[in-house]
Amino acid sequence: MSGHTHNADDRRELQMARSMCWHCQSEMAGEYFCDRCVKVQPVSKDLDYFTCFGLPRRLALDPQALEAKFYELSRAFHPDFYQNKSDAEQTISLDNSAMLNTAYRTLRDPIQRAEYLLDLEAGSVKDIRTTPPADLFEEILELQDTLDEFRTSDRASENAAVLRTKLDADRATLEQRQRDMEAELQQLFSRWDALQDRGEATEPARAERGRILKDMRDILSNRTYVKNIVNDLLATIA
Amino acid sequence: MAYSEKVVDHFNNPRNMGSFKKEEDGVGTGIVGAPECGDVMKLQIKVENDTIVDAKFKTFGCGSAIASSSLATEWLKGKTVEEAGKIKNTDIVQELNLPPVKIHCSVLAEDAIKAALADYQKKADSK
Repeated sequence: MSGHTHNADDRRELQMARSMCWHCQSEMAGEYFCDRCVKVQPVSKDLDYFTCFGLPRRLALDPQALEAKFYELSRAFHPDFYQNKSDAEQTISLDNSAMLNTAYRTLRDPIQRAEYLLDLEAGSVKDIRTTPPADLFEEILELQDTLDEFRTSDRASENAAVLRTKLDADRATLEQRQRDMEAELQQLFSRWDALQDRGEATEPARAERGRILKDMRDILSNRTYVKNIVNDLLATIA
Repeated sequence: MAYSEKVVDHFNNPRNMGSFKKEEDGVGTGIVGAPECGDVMKLQIKVENDTIVDAKFKTFGCGSAIASSSLATEWLKGKTVEEAGKIKNTDIVQELNLPPVKIHCSVLAEDAIKAALADYQKKADSK
């Protein structure tokens, strides 16, 4: 487990995920299996991926704990073990396995994890338009110009060689920008987690949450943009 | 989705494509973009005696983005700086028959006009 402690919010979510067993109708206390009839339970569609893995909603997470829980649940839900069970159980096993795989893939990757968290918290950031830095567009515009020129140039010519050198330099600049953005994201992740750990419900805390989420969304969107441009560049000069 | 005739016309025969030297007197430059779709747009105006005498654009993006900026430069020519500030993205949507999914292209063009005007103003003020 990661070093984070569950705060009151996380606990409430976990409790709300519990309900009645679909088979014997007894109150569920177990995690994914009924204590009484031992039937597998469907993972609720409302359950977020963090809760599904028993993790707090934080951006820093222990990859080993995530993996261990993934293997544990994979075994528990694996359709192979349900071949001789009822249709209902087979369906649950399939659905749970599919959901588990998606959840694992999403949480394993730090960027996808952040994007997922933003979706979960979307209420507070939905309508904020991202504001990319103006100098980024100047860079991109110049780069597109050079790419255009390169595409129509004779690859064996002197000019193409000059352009290629320029494009290589542009690529280095953009990749540096990507690294800077990733470092910035990492800082925002820590700030977010720290804020969540404190669990304050005050107005300034809410405003700070909104700011962090907006900044994260901005950087994630610019990062995708830069990544696509770099891919385009690489494909052109390949 | 099919592009409207007007979009296709602007796309095939873009008006005022090119650029001015940024440093030139009376030139305002606006560079905007949308990371979501990867479009980037440069729109420039040349102002003499408070009137836009020429406008140029350079856009890397979809047909609607190119058409929106091409149309914007056409409209800008001959307008005063104040009139230019009143061009709305909805005017562009109407003129080009842009479908809902392409409205952001017209927003981008409006943003580019605003950015170019602001840049012109800034240069004028600092003199």
